Formats: sequence, C-alpha cells, structure tokens
Amino acid sequence: MRKFAIFPAVALGVVLISGSAGVSLYAQEAVPEGFKKGELSPLPSAEMIEAGKRVYFTKCVWCHGVEGSGDGPAADRLWPRPRNFNQGTFKIRHTASGELPLFDSRKPTAGQNDLFETVTHGLPGSAMPSWDGILTDEQRLQVLSFVTTQLVKDRKFDDKAETSTILQLDSIKPIPASKESLEKGAQLIVDKKCIECHGVNGRGDGNAFNLKDDWGFAIQPANWHKCWNFRGSRRDPYNVKNIFRTFSTGVNGTPMPSFADNTTVEERWHIANIVNSLCERDSNGEPLPIDPLTDKPKINFVMRSGPVEGDISDDPENEMWQKRERRIVALGGQITHKPRNFVTRIDDIWVKSVYNDKQIVFLFQWDDRSKSVATEKPKFQPTEVNLEGYGVKEQDPKTGEEGSIAANQMKYNVYNDALAVEFPVKWQELPPPEKPRYFWGDQKYPVDIVKWEADGSIRAFTGKGWDQDFEDRDDYTEKVKVLKSEWKDGRWTVMISRPRKADYDEDTYFEVGKYIPTVFFVWDGHNGDIGRKMSVSAFYYTILEPPIPKETYIYPTVIAVGIVFLEGWILTRRAKKRKQTAAIR
Amino acid sequence: MTSLKLVEGYMPMQMLFELAFCVAVFAGISYLLSKSGVQLPRFWQGILFWVFILMYLKYRIYPPIPFSVRAMYGTVSLIAVFMWMSSNEDDWRKFKQPIMNVMDGITPFHKILRVAYLVALPFVFWAFSYNSFLPNLDEPIELRTVHPAPPASTKVHGKTFVLQTSQNPYRINPEGKYDQEYSNARIVEQGMGRLMKPDANPWDQKAEGYLKYVREGGEIFFQNCHFCHGDNLNGRGLHAFAFNPIPANFTDPGTIAQLQETFIFWRVAKGGIGLPREGFPWASVMPPWEQHLTTDEIWKVILFEYWHTGYYPRTWD
Repeated sequence: MRKFAIFPAVALGVVLISGSAGVSLYAQEAVPEGFKKGELSPLPSAEMIEAGKRVYFTKCVWCHGVEGSGDGPAADRLWPRPRNFNQGTFKIRHTASGELPLFDSRKPTAGQNDLFETVTHGLPGSAMPSWDGILTDEQRLQVLSFVTTQLVKDRKFDDKAETSTILQLDSIKPIPASKESLEKGAQLIVDKKCIECHGVNGRGDGNAFNLKDDWGFAIQPANWHKCWNFRGSRRDPYNVKNIFRTFSTGVNGTPMPSFADNTTVEERWHIANIVNSLCERDSNGEPLPIDPLTDKPKINFVMRSGPVEGDISDDPENEMWQKRERRIVALGGQITHKPRNFVTRIDDIWVKSVYNDKQIVFLFQWDDRSKSVATEKPKFQPTEVNLEGYGVKEQDPKTGEEGSIAANQMKYNVYNDALAVEFPVKWQELPPPEKPRYFWGDQKYPVDIVKWEADGSIRAFTGKGWDQDFEDRDDYTEKVKVLKSEWKDGRWTVMISRPRKADYDEDTYFEVGKYIPTVFFVWDGHNGDIGRKMSVSAFYYTILEPPIPKETYIYPTVIAVGIVFLEGWILTRRAKKRKQTAAIR
Repeated sequence: MTSLKLVEGYMPMQMLFELAFCVAVFAGISYLLSKSGVQLPRFWQGILFWVFILMYLKYRIYPPIPFSVRAMYGTVSLIAVFMWMSSNEDDWRKFKQPIMNVMDGITPFHKILRVAYLVALPFVFWAFSYNSFLPNLDEPIELRTVHPAPPASTKVHGKTFVLQTSQNPYRINPEGKYDQEYSNARIVEQGMGRLMKPDANPWDQKAEGYLKYVREGGEIFFQNCHFCHGDNLNGRGLHAFAFNPIPANFTDPGTIAQLQETFIFWRVAKGGIGLPREGFPWASVMPPWEQHLTTDEIWKVILFEYWHTGYYPRTWD
C-alpha cells in the first residue's frame, strides 16, 4: 500500500465508497434482470493457500509483485499495467457491478469461476497469457486461493457485507443476430451512449484520450473490430455471450459501467449482436480463422498483387479493389534496437494490392484511435534516424508507478502518423532465401523504403542499416504517388502508387511471379512513435500474380488422354488373362 | 478449444502414443465386428486406415505440417498399408479381390462401377495435375539450422570469452565456487507447472548467492525478454504473434536443454545478426543484447532461464 501516492489513494477511496454504496443498494432493491442472488463461496483451505504461494512465486510475482500490488519487475514497461490485487477489483466477472468476482477453490467450472477462467484463458491484448496447458487445473485453483486470501487486502471473499449477484448466462436464451436485432442494436448503441467512448464505428476512437482507470492509469475503449483483443474473449472471440456478459456486469475499475440496471435482457442481446457483428470477418462474412498458438487471426505471409487492365482506381469501393482478397499483417513493437517500443497501439494493418503494366498500387487500412499530425515542425530532418538526442527515449525499466508507461501513455509529444514499406533493392541478386536485415537493410543489401506521413508527404529513401541515416532518392519520390489518404472514425485508408520499374540500382523492380521480401512499419503519432520507435512486421513476400500459362491446360489434358490409353491396356490385358485361365480350367 | 490438448514439448511421443492407441482401438473394433459376423472387407480396412492417417496428420497436428511433408508421410504409410495387406498370400488375395471384381465386371453393379471409374479417372487426374501446374503462390519453405555451430570464442564488451572454458560466474555455491550440482539441486521441478522447490524460493528475503542471482536474472528477463519469449519462457510473448518464425521456446527440450551455457551467452550477446549464414541471420530479430545489457546481466538472465525451465545446461564433457 505504501506505493500508493496521493491520487491513487483518493481513487481507492472512491472505489471503496462506490463499492459499498453499490452493495447496500443491491441489498435493498430487486436484482437486475438476468441476475440472481447467489451465495458467497467458502474460503479455500490452508493447504490450498500454501500450495498456491509456491505457484505465485514461480510464475506470477514477476509482473504482479511480492505484495500483489501489480508492481513486479515487468510492470513499468507494460500497458495495461499488471493488475493490482490489493483492492479486490477484478474486471471480467459474472457478478454485478462493484462485486467481487466468482471464485471457488473447489470447482473449476466454466461460468461459475471467473478468476479461474481468467487465469486459464489469459487476458488478450495484455501481457497476461493463457496458463492452460502450463499450470494444471489444481495449480490454478491453488494460486488463486493464495491471491484471493493473501493479496486481496481491502476486501474479504467471505465478508458478510459482500454480496454475490450472479448473471445467469447459461439459462438466458440468446437472441439470434437477425437483421432486425442488428438494426435495434445499432440504434441502442447510440441511445445508450456506447459510441461516446467506443466511437461511431466502434473502433475505440470516441472519448479516447481522457480516460483513466481506478488506479490513475491511462485506459482506452475497446476496439469492437478486434474481438480477439477483448480481455473477456476467453479464447472464443466471436462468441456473442462474452460481449453480453461484459455489457451486463461492466468492467470493474474502469470507466466501462454495467448496463444491467438501464437495459432489458433483450436490449442487451441486440447490443451484443451488433458489437459482435462488427468484429473483422472474411469476404464471406465468416469469422477469421484464429491461430491457437497466438490467439490472433492466422497470418498468410504472402501478399498477392492482382493484375488489372488499364488505369487503377483510387476508390477502395471500386470493383477492382472490392474483389481483391485483403491480407492481415501483424505488427509488434520494435524491441530490437534503442529506443525500444514496448507498447504499441497499432497491432495490425490490412493490405490489398493490384498492378498493371506500369504501376503497382497498395491499399493499406489500419485502425488508429487518433489522427496524429505534428503541431510543430520537427527539429530533425526526415532522413535522420538517430533521434535519442532529440528526447526520443525508451522507457526505463525501473521507474515506479508514476514514471511507468501506463501512467504516461497519453502524455507523449505528438508526431505524424506514418507508414513505410521496405523492399530490398536488387532482390533479384539475393541468393535465396537470404534477405537484408529486416530493420532498414544493411551495407551489403540496401533497401528501398517508401514512407508516407499523415501531413500528406511521401518520400523515398535508401536504407543501409538500423542506425544509418536514410539517403534521399529525390527522383523516385516524384514518381511515387499518394492516391488517397483519409482518417475516418478511427481508421486510416492510404493508397500508394509506385512505378514497377525505375532505376535498377536504387529502386525495387516489381517483376511478375517473383517473391519479393517486404517489411511494413507503422508509426502512431499519439504513441510518441518517431524514428525507431514504431510497430514493425516480420518479413512478408509480395508476389505479383502471374497469368495462368498455357501449359497449365495442355499437360493435364495429355495426362488424361494417357490415362484413357492405360485403362484400355489394363482392361484388355486382364480380359486376355481371364480367357487364358478359363481355357486352362 | 478441443478437450484433447497437444501437450507442449511432448509432440513426437504424444503423436506416436495416440496413433498406437488408435491402432489398438481399431484392432479391437475389427475383432468385435468379426465376432458378430459383419467383418469389414480387408480392402476397406486398408483404405480406411490410410485415410485415417492422412486425416490425423492434416487436422490433429498443430502447427500444421506443410503439404510436401504430409505427402511424404502419406506415401510411407501407404507402403506400410500395402505391406500389411500383402503379409500373406491369403490376405493379399482378399485385398485384391474387390479391385479385380470391378475390373472384370462380374455383376451388373460392378459393370456400372467399372464404367464410372473409367470415365471419372481421367477427369480426376486432369484436375489433380491442373492444380499442380497452377502457379504456386504459397509461402516458400525455408529450413534453417536452429542451433548452428558456434564460434570458438566471442568478444563482448571488450572481453574475450572462450566458449569451451568460460563459466557462468553466478552459478556458484555458498563458498563462491562454480558448482553445477549445487544449482541443479535448486532449479524448478520438472512435470506440469514446473514449480520451484518449496525450500528454494528466489524471492525469499534470505535468499543468497545462486538464488538471489536467479531473482536478479528474472527481473532482467521480465524487463527485456518476456515481450517475445513469454511469461512462461515458451516463446509466446506479447509481441510474438507478429513473428515468423515465432520466438524460441525455452521449455521445449530441443532448445536450451540441448546447449551449453556459453552457447546461450554467445547467442544472447550477438543476437540474430551474429548468426552464421546457415542460421539465417535475416530470419531472426533477436537483438544483439550486448547493446542493452552488461555481461553480468546476460549471465544472470541465462541463470534464470535454466532455473525457470528446470533444465541443466549441457557441459563440455
């Protein structure tokens, strides 16, 4: 507790007061629709607690800290910051707003043990991993026994003043996501003011910059289009029940309230349906396949560019773009070289591409809660990459809460949002599978970098290493064009056209049917991203889809004819043999 | 999620056990069927078993095996099925019989079947070869050497470390001597969860020497490494989803458990960029940690990694 400075202490007081007010309120009034009064679970046995301590100090202490105050060694470089258990405030629950979560050390039953499910499935979008398959069910119950009795300090799970009002999620029948339900939901998210924080399109871009949680740390509204990042998605992101639950119970400790008191169960289903329908889907409207190793959408590392005749449209709604398959590119923080970017706010972009005989055009779309354009002209040149002298620093490992990333996340200097694509120059001469260094190339294999910035500029550079200033390619810069750049409701749409061929020594050639190594970089200006602080992808391959060659039709036909002859030969042979055997008999 | 989990680190053994179990179950079913007088013909037994193997390889194994490798396994298991079918003359005859019946068209039904096959086969082969002649736009398979040969020595922060003779200065007993037996007695226990020994808690305020260094190494790990290698050192960190290939899994018996501590020291200090060509330096974003950490910090992190996974570093003798 000594870690708590003045503000958090006040915040804590508010939590406690509102918490107890909530308790007395529920004690007198009828329970909200869909909820039922439940019993408090008995405390775990002393053996369970003791065994749990061993689990805690092997696995959990590194983030959550010795006293469970969310101040372990990892904490200062994480956002969201690890949970401080001391107050007993837990986000994902089946219980009414302000109440303790469900926890019973005797039964790991889904739907009846919130904390157990949180540890089992992890909290996607945060550093809390799924402990399923790592700790046994028993070990997970043990560690929670320790946490709930020893590290939750301000409340007691068997306190008579506590109540347990449980959402009856299993017995409430969901309303199917019919057109009618979705229409009602679309109206309700306006009426219930969901869009004030989550944005008119649900990309979390509403009131995104002034929100704080009960501990005083910055917090941002969920982006409904990335359901795999919902904390409560329970490794089943497209399941509408998760949304219904979160909406009914609220997220304790955050500005997300419970809507149990001012919505009916039916209304809550309509809202859950519309929110669920917004999560990204494939072109057939099916959920994206989720990779069980990462709990994120599966990635295809080949980026196809499709052939078109004539001019390329700059309208993403045009048919030539609409029929192209889009590919997701996953982005992680640049955590290789200083200043490392431990927290990224952009974790994927969607890419489409088409080409004609002269140009190749890329269409990038990505969710960014804020349009960031630098208010003042930067003191450094666009070609400069070593910006530590200008105050671009990485987060120190040990700062305490006040200096942590989570506390300062909304206080960065604002730079331009930006996107860059990198290809090796003269990739034709790379002995496969050799590639340049992913991070702006190296002396041996320079790279072609085209960088767009939110101020509307586009520049072409040559990169020769992560710490080497870019070299300008003036003449190419004139040939590269921004066909479209628009930020709308939390999403950037940027279309960039570039010639397929220019100067072989400096500019990447885009030849049909070849695998061209590609790396994507995205900067979020409001995340303080500039220079080497940004989000970056792994190596992808861009390939210009070749037309189908004639051989593809000729050879199979030859083979099929061959099969016909073979059949004839086998059957006549067989018939002869049968005649012979018959004759012998 | 499926209730039958693929347990990490036990992949090949688990696969063999599962297949063996299935074979036993099939044998049991086939025995019961023959008892009740409705035995499946040999021909279909063979075909079904082969199809089962193919389906198992395609849908059970995760991450998926590339098609070329599955095709190889498929061919091998086809040969195995043939050997099983032809193990004696009688079985082989029974296996062939349905094929011969169709070829000879012994009944009107078989005649119809024969015509159907004769017409369908050229089309099937046409479609199959058409698909294989279509330009292939899949991700190229790039196989790299995961543990390439290390150099004889490596220079970090101005000091040269000979890999054969260097030792982790923090793997010491209370007398301050290098002592693997002492540290091995205090690493976490193998088995599910890999928990620490109850009397060897690095967070114990009284922890001294080895255990204290483990804690300090853990602090460095959780300030620098967990972003990729994960909270459980299994390569599933916060940023891991964006990687290809995903970061190294230290809990896998094929990584640090196979290596000497000095090898890890070289890999950590020099990073992906320091790999020889066969290690595909361009496919690794591992930073050269000498840019971020001191030599002492690197040794402590390595100490922690072995402690937390419950593995012993290999020694040179």
